Amino acid sequence: MIKFLLKGIIRDKSRSILPIIITAIGVTLTVFLSGYMRGAMGDMIDLNARFETGHIKVMTQPYLKNKDQLPNDLALLEVSELIADLEKDFPEISWEKRIRFGGLVDAPDENGLTQGQGPAAGLAIDLFSKHSNEIGRMNLAPAIVNGTIPIRPGEALISEDFSQKINASVGDDVTFVGSTMNGSMAFQNFKVAGTVRFGSAAMDKGAIIIDITDAQNMLDMEDGAGEILGYFPNDVYDNNDATQIAETFNAKYIDSDDEFAPIMQSLKQQNGLASLLDYADVMSGMFVAIFVFAMSIVLWNTGLLGGLRRYQEYGIRLALGESKGHIYRMMISEAVLIGILGSILGSILGLAAAYALQVYGFDISEFAPQSNMLMPNVIRAKVTPDLFYIGFIPGVFAMVLGTALSGIGIYKRETATLFKELEV
Amino acid sequence: MNTEKIITLENVVKRFKVGDGEFTALKDINLNFDKGEFAGLVGPSGSGKTTLLNIIGSLDSPTEGTATVMGKSISELSHKESALLRNHHIGFIFQVYNLLPVYTVYENVEFALLLQNHSAEERKKAVMDALDWVGIADMANKKPAKLSGGEGQRVAIARAMVKKPQILLADEPTANLDAENAHAILQTMKSLNKELDTTFLFSTHDEKVMKYMDRIIHLRDGSVEKDEIINSKSSSK
Ligand SMILES: Nc1ncnc2c1ncn2[C@@H]1O[C@H](COP(=O)(O)OP(=O)(O)O)[C@@H](O)[C@H]1O
Ligand SMILES: [Mg+2]
Repeated sequence: MIKFLLKGIIRDKSRSILPIIITAIGVTLTVFLSGYMRGAMGDMIDLNARFETGHIKVMTQPYLKNKDQLPNDLALLEVSELIADLEKDFPEISWEKRIRFGGLVDAPDENGLTQGQGPAAGLAIDLFSKHSNEIGRMNLAPAIVNGTIPIRPGEALISEDFSQKINASVGDDVTFVGSTMNGSMAFQNFKVAGTVRFGSAAMDKGAIIIDITDAQNMLDMEDGAGEILGYFPNDVYDNNDATQIAETFNAKYIDSDDEFAPIMQSLKQQNGLASLLDYADVMSGMFVAIFVFAMSIVLWNTGLLGGLRRYQEYGIRLALGESKGHIYRMMISEAVLIGILGSILGSILGLAAAYALQVYGFDISEFAPQSNMLMPNVIRAKVTPDLFYIGFIPGVFAMVLGTALSGIGIYKRETATLFKELEV
Repeated sequence: MNTEKIITLENVVKRFKVGDGEFTALKDINLNFDKGEFAGLVGPSGSGKTTLLNIIGSLDSPTEGTATVMGKSISELSHKESALLRNHHIGFIFQVYNLLPVYTVYENVEFALLLQNHSAEERKKAVMDALDWVGIADMANKKPAKLSGGEGQRVAIARAMVKKPQILLADEPTANLDAENAHAILQTMKSLNKELDTTFLFSTHDEKVMKYMDRIIHLRDGSVEKDEIINSKSSSK
């Protein structure tokens, strides 16, 4: 019987083409948009990893608890030793020290009088070590508006908007005023090597980037760092590995009674990224639900129109002794077949499109007014295993639901009425 | 055996709702058919022929009275039971031969058997036999659109006969055929009637058809006007 149905579907194009096209379009969109969303989420996570969380991050336990206050008084000390240990235990990971701090940046004129000042968020990264990839990771080069990346100690990058606000341009000196790790005043002059655009309003309003060694000196944090970030090779995050490494590392310190004992967290544990990922799943679930709903309605109507055309066929089949229930079930089976064909087609197209967007990307730098640190220049999709079924199942489901609804009419009709359609 | 009543109609009345009122299409019909009869319902258009055939074929049921087909009361059958009765014991042939256009001649005939449980081999044999009976075995792979009217009606006969039903109901089967084809078809049906002892019941207002009938029932305005036995069936077998 299935063979019989397949023949009907293949030979009677008007019965199959339209539903197949509708299903295929819906499935293509679902797969492609899901892939795009996976990509966008991936970019967002990647961005988080680069700027804040690393793939894994080591802090002291009290620093972790008060993370939002940039509590450098609780920072890690003797980090060289710690990093040496980390490199020994997890040789594939690259480790980077960072210090976050806050303070006031003051731009004096030739006479040393303040001509502009403002609060600034500070970030110290390893700008000069050969092994460090921080400059690339932070996307600094494309984000430069004026000047260059610092090339020697005592140089700083400040945000472009901030530089205009405080009247400090490339080559000028600025003074940072803050507090050291121990709570005393910290003063330090920096030469503005360049200005950058972050792409986040908070950072563009006032931020300064300096080298990690300068920060250690300025903040009295000799061989200290607020956090040590670990990155997997090629900067690709793997949640299982990250969780594993964090567990291994933390096990070493579980019995430590040092209140400043280090603790490691995976990317997913930080910044509520777990709930962000869940949110993304809910979003794509909703998208799929809307798609199923819309498709079902379209396919319902297509089914109604197709059904009208086929009343004669149903009449003949009734006369041949098929029951209405059987006819209905055969309609559903047909829908399953058509749904499968359309969904296979749609999945292939959607995957191909998502894959193309993953491999080639879509360069938006031409459309974006200015490039900055926080915005990826290339939009990419990501083909994940779930894309293979995320459109397929709803595609078949929508087709079956649409047909089931349109077929109810057949059920409700009197046999004699259906049969009447035969008398032309 | 031959005198066994295969169809019994007792005081059958059929009314249709028409707008707010009712229209009586069949008025108190009393008829019996023996197994193996070759009978025609004759009457002008609107006299109730199709309505009567539909009731006997369990596609519709009487408003009043009882129609008993193969021992089963039509109005008491569930939808499923009546489908089963049609599938196994009743063949239909219509005025317009109504083949499924996407399927070949062979597949159209096979369809009736797909609803029953037959092996592919059994089906193949039965279909080819049926096409042989009506003389179009060589057209098995053609599509209905490629057939002439006479050929199409033969396929319809083969489709109705392939399951060797007890009863074959033919509603104006020759209405769209020329004289030559009409005669050929009737001869085919007559020989099937003899060979398989199938009960044939026609509706027609075609003079050519009437010549072949062993019994002619004249209908007018939903009533039996005359019931003529032309060839007594008991003598033939
Ligand atoms: N479903 C129906 N609803 C209303 N009237 C009907 C219906 N079916 C048949 N009739 C009426 O019943 C009468 C008999 O119809 P029918 O049995 O088709 O006649 P015949 O086949 O002899 O031409 C006609 O007047 C027809 O209009
Ligand atoms: Mg009629």
